[in-house]
Amino acid sequence: MTATARAEVLATVRAVVADILPGLSPADIAEHRHLADLGADSVDRVEIIIGLLHRLGLREPMSSFSSPPNVGALVDLLVAKGAALPGGGR
Amino acid sequence: MTGRYGIEALNVYAGLAHIPVPALFAGRGLDPARLDNLMMRSRSVGLPFEDPVTNAVNAAGPLLDALGPGGRDGIELLVTSTESGLDLSKSVASYVHEYLGLSRNCRLLEVKQACYAATGAIQLATGYLASGASPGARALVIGTDLALVDARAGYAEPATGHGAVAVLVGDRPAVLAIDAGAFGVYSYETLDSARPTPELDIADVDRSLFAYLDCLSGSFADYRSRVADADFLATFGYLAMHTPFAGLVRAAHRKLAREHAARVATEPDFEYRVAPSLIYPAAVGNLCSGSVYLALASLLDHADLAAPARIGLYAYGSGCSSEFFSGVADAGSAAAVAAMGIGAHLAARRELSFAEYVRLLPVTLRALVPEPDRTVDLAPYQDFRQPDRRLLVHTGSKQYHRLYEWR
Repeated sequence: MTATARAEVLATVRAVVADILPGLSPADIAEHRHLADLGADSVDRVEIIIGLLHRLGLREPMSSFSSPPNVGALVDLLVAKGAALPGGGR
Repeated sequence: MTGRYGIEALNVYAGLAHIPVPALFAGRGLDPARLDNLMMRSRSVGLPFEDPVTNAVNAAGPLLDALGPGGRDGIELLVTSTESGLDLSKSVASYVHEYLGLSRNCRLLEVKQACYAATGAIQLATGYLASGASPGARALVIGTDLALVDARAGYAEPATGHGAVAVLVGDRPAVLAIDAGAFGVYSYETLDSARPTPELDIADVDRSLFAYLDCLSGSFADYRSRVADADFLATFGYLAMHTPFAGLVRAAHRKLAREHAARVATEPDFEYRVAPSLIYPAAVGNLCSGSVYLALASLLDHADLAAPARIGLYAYGSGCSSEFFSGVADAGSAAAVAAMGIGAHLAARRELSFAEYVRLLPVTLRALVPEPDRTVDLAPYQDFRQPDRRLLVHTGSKQYHRLYEWR
């Protein structure tokens, strides 16, 4: 995995989060912050994970994403699940 | 009706008191911006003379009365489904059997699998009845629970209900003819929510919601593998799901639609096929394993059933186990449920202020703690009584034997 590939996954996370939480700009979504701290309630977090799996083409149970401590860890987890591979995890 | 076995009758008892969710939000200082995604209006609140036994008996009593003389004797299996057990050995069913006046020639069981258990019991009961071992027999399955939440539960507190749903299963399925062989199940071990002591509920919110949604996809896929040509849009006229809070069911519908009907307009489909099932759950809160049947009652009381419709049902229980199954309902189903007056009983609950609600908690949070001897003082709660209803109340315990009276 290259740094570029991880950066692309991070950009996707920021775009999806900003889509679900319209008050935020992608720049607000720092890697050290937790989705809850950004104002995402439990339904928002559901929508964010569903949106990410869809956008990244990953076929992964949602339960794999139950406990990342912050945005950066979520990005790392998505990368580990194959998000940075060509064609996603399909 | 197209099937031979299924739900003959269905009734709900959701207590005598409720608190509006906005009042609870204000009292706890919760963020009102979250009300939109929670989609809850009110929640039932238990009183000190209510417990899993009284809730179960008060839900099932009207069903049995409607059977007429001798009807009780045909019930050969009583199952209480609860995560609010009163004893590690003696079942809630043993008390319920007594106060419902059921035959001594009746099997008694209590089952536990969090909010899934009643559905498992109904499916096993249906299979047993269909085996022909005892032609004409009926089974009574009651999902009965009470809440152990306070401020510690955060946003789950406004979504947790109190009450019971009674489901009579037999070969005259006036409410829902269950599609034989049409089911899908999905289970695995996780600690998403649990009740490790009689005074404590624990929950990992994301783990629980994600498990609910993974299990929905998994059980629906299993259903499709067993039912030829099953289609998310075309097969089911309506959907009724376990409802921890109504907003989760909206998200669940959106997920299934995305996976199986990418081109459908999600919101109108939700409003037509799902929203009628959420009216009672949004006014009561999560009833644990009775919840999906509260949703079914809501659907049958509010949806258009002039033409028969297949209903897809989804049950999920933490821990976790789940099932997607189906059945057919028609105008007779709506009439049978309407006769129970569920909506009127919900409307008759007394509204609590936040201060009244908080004063109840020190007693109601200890409702499941075993005490050898206890007396429940009924006097402070006289104004919660509904004079037109004869209800079982819990009056105390004597050497661990729980005591009840009809009032």
